Amino acid sequence: MTSINQTLQEEQVVVFQLMEQVYGIDINSVFEIIRMESITKLPRTPDFVEGVINLRGRIIPVIDLGLRFGLGQSERTQASRIIIVEVSGQKIGMIVDSVQEVLRIPTASIEPPPPVVNGVDATYLRGIAILEDKLVILLDQDKILYEKEKELLQQANIGGDQAWEV
Amino acid sequence: MFSDIEIGVFIDELEEKIQVINDGLLALERDEGNPDIIQEIFRAAHTVKGSSGIMGYENMASLTHEMENLFDKIRHGEIHVTSDMINVLFEALDTLKALKDEVTGEGPAVDTTAVVDKIRSFVQGDPVVTPEQPKPVVVQPAGAAIDWIEIGDVEENVIREAELRGFQAYRIAVDIAQDCQMKNVRAFLIFETLQQVGEIIKSSPAAEDIQEGKYDTGFQLVLITKEDTDRIKNLVITISEVTDARVEPIVLPSQEAAETPAKVKEASAARAETREVKNGTAETAEKKAVKTVRVDVNKLDNLMNLVGELVIDRTRLNRFAEIFESRFGSDDLVEAVNEISNHLGQVTGDLQEQIMKARMLPVAQLFNRFPRMVRDTAQKLGKEIDFVVEGKETELDRNVIEVIGDPLIHLIRNAIDHGIETPQERVAAGKSPTGTLLLKASYAESHIVITVQDDGRGMDVNKIKNKAVELGFMDREAVDRLSDREALNLIFRPGFSTKNNEVSDLSGRGVGMDVVNTAIEQINGTVELDTKLGSGTRFTIRLPLTLAIIRALMITLGNQVYAFPLTNVSETIRITDQDIRRVGNNEVIVVRDRILPLVRLGRLFNCPDYQEDTKMFVVIIGSGEKRVAVVVDKLLGEQEIVIKSLGDYLGQVPGLSGACILGDGKVALIVDVRGLVKNLAVEEATYAAG
Repeated sequence: MTSINQTLQEEQVVVFQLMEQVYGIDINSVFEIIRMESITKLPRTPDFVEGVINLRGRIIPVIDLGLRFGLGQSERTQASRIIIVEVSGQKIGMIVDSVQEVLRIPTASIEPPPPVVNGVDATYLRGIAILEDKLVILLDQDKILYEKEKELLQQANIGGDQAWEV
Repeated sequence: MFSDIEIGVFIDELEEKIQVINDGLLALERDEGNPDIIQEIFRAAHTVKGSSGIMGYENMASLTHEMENLFDKIRHGEIHVTSDMINVLFEALDTLKALKDEVTGEGPAVDTTAVVDKIRSFVQGDPVVTPEQPKPVVVQPAGAAIDWIEIGDVEENVIREAELRGFQAYRIAVDIAQDCQMKNVRAFLIFETLQQVGEIIKSSPAAEDIQEGKYDTGFQLVLITKEDTDRIKNLVITISEVTDARVEPIVLPSQEAAETPAKVKEASAARAETREVKNGTAETAEKKAVKTVRVDVNKLDNLMNLVGELVIDRTRLNRFAEIFESRFGSDDLVEAVNEISNHLGQVTGDLQEQIMKARMLPVAQLFNRFPRMVRDTAQKLGKEIDFVVEGKETELDRNVIEVIGDPLIHLIRNAIDHGIETPQERVAAGKSPTGTLLLKASYAESHIVITVQDDGRGMDVNKIKNKAVELGFMDREAVDRLSDREALNLIFRPGFSTKNNEVSDLSGRGVGMDVVNTAIEQINGTVELDTKLGSGTRFTIRLPLTLAIIRALMITLGNQVYAFPLTNVSETIRITDQDIRRVGNNEVIVVRDRILPLVRLGRLFNCPDYQEDTKMFVVIIGSGEKRVAVVVDKLLGEQEIVIKSLGDYLGQVPGLSGACILGDGKVALIVDVRGLVKNLAVEEATYAAG
């Protein structure tokens, strides 16, 4: 499948840090970036679901990206941010350690990902951009959400009765 | 070609005229020679004939032309109205409705020849009345015969559920080029594209086969989405090697549509009358042409969200004013800020209310469907009914109207079928032969109340109790302990029916009272039943004015706020450790001789900062006749909240039904009472046995 990006010369990504690693996400899917605020916890949801926030009157689910990738939870600091991404009409917040910059990455420098990168399953990755001074792991935001959704749904399905055990 | 706006105007006018003809025919049945009514129907038919002719809908024009001819002759006294004629005219009206659906794309093509011939035979003065009246024949438009994918019960439920949330279901037939080399890739692309905008719930052949390219030259899908026909079509058609895509909205039959036209009982004395009781102003309001604009409901939702933000800003401004005051004392500036804040509060409140009102429709939309149904049902069952409709002008949120249609149809049918006796029985019981059925809508505080009341035979509590034992719901001892009210509530249980003879084809239909109850609870309403043996039954349905805003009881667990919909809260009490008993592994408390399961919500929700105490606040929640006692930390009081969904991404979170935003901008979670009760309320009988 040829993705539309490969026909372009370069693409813009929002670069952020998570657990000492540099990641990038396509700027077109980033709705906005906000500071950490109080997040309402949701009972009985997977550990990576941090909760929900009120974003100007809309309820937005927020996930902890570190926990999502099974890397553990990183510390919340002044630099922590919530990146609100919009994928197929749904807005979702992802907690990251810090947001660094917006980079233009030449399409030619993007390599397909190896099966696992720093503990992150390649399912969630679009590729790796090898730049002069750094290496940026490019996330596939559709996959992050879609795969999660499947898991969540499965949990909801098996959770039918078990979910109620006190 | 006419624009959508022109077609929209035409359809609006057509709907109005169909209603005029419908009301006119019902009135004509009671008063066969009334010249005013005849004139009114004549005019309505004439108008439709003209406008449908201009629009080029020939079938509609020719049908209304015949109707006009007939009424012209009636007007001039050349022909007299007979009950046969009225039956044929009702059939013509049904055909006209079917033609309207054909125009809007909601229904298939309609063949009008049979009904036109019948009307013509009256015009020519030799009525041919067939005892059997076939339904309008459905004709597939030539060249587009599609053997559409079947919608099973499972899909139907999914679709109905989705429609409640504002989605629409479509059947999609995709044709792939004969010489397509990579059928699996095409299929994958089509699935992928459609899943971007909705959810595919069924396909033919099976999805796996399609994705592997195991299909002939096309396949069919059922898609649930918020997009419209054109957009879906465009999405699919632009994929290469797709030669054609046909998209058709799925219109699920309401229970009414499943009804075949009633057979005419020869010389039956049965008739149903409809009377309307209106407020004086409503009459004139109806006659006035209303200037309207069609607005997408989503736009209104967005406006609502914006107002929500204003409310939050206003709260912040208020706090700012307080700080201001503590720092600088009270002076003109501080006063001014306070004043601005208060005014802003008022304006946002009004704005919220106005937007809410914009989503409301008069319940007449729904009530206007009933007189005809009552007439047909009464005729079929040989009953005489005086149908009284009150409060048609009462306004309700459109989503609420959509949900209560079927329950009301069921209650009305039940009243005619089981409630009101035959004229002979009534006379024998010393009543007037004509039964009265009242359908009434009215406002009560922040609720709307809909009443369905009959003066029929009422329900026998003992009979219900016996039936409950017979069906194995409870043992005799438990049944005898029930109060009359509790016993009556048994009829809302799934699978309960007191009809011993075979189910008549009217009620039943797999929709029991439990379904009525569930549908009403779904929208945070309640249904109550009062009955008196020999003098009648009354169902009182209380509904919130809107789905989006409910009154809720706010509580805390640790430092997190939760909301219980007030319709599900029966009371709040304080208990101590001493009050808690154990039955097996479960904690229970006894409240007024009822044993209720006790749920510690903090434990259930794994709240990190949850502390158990020896004294506790308990909220008793209920759904149907089940009750559960829930231990919470603190009660904060009642509040109106705007319900928001947690979104598709999270899906169904066990124990929660949504969220709302508090005045300070924080998020509170709404407890899914029905889910809790369903999963945790144990039948009392099991405790009694334990």
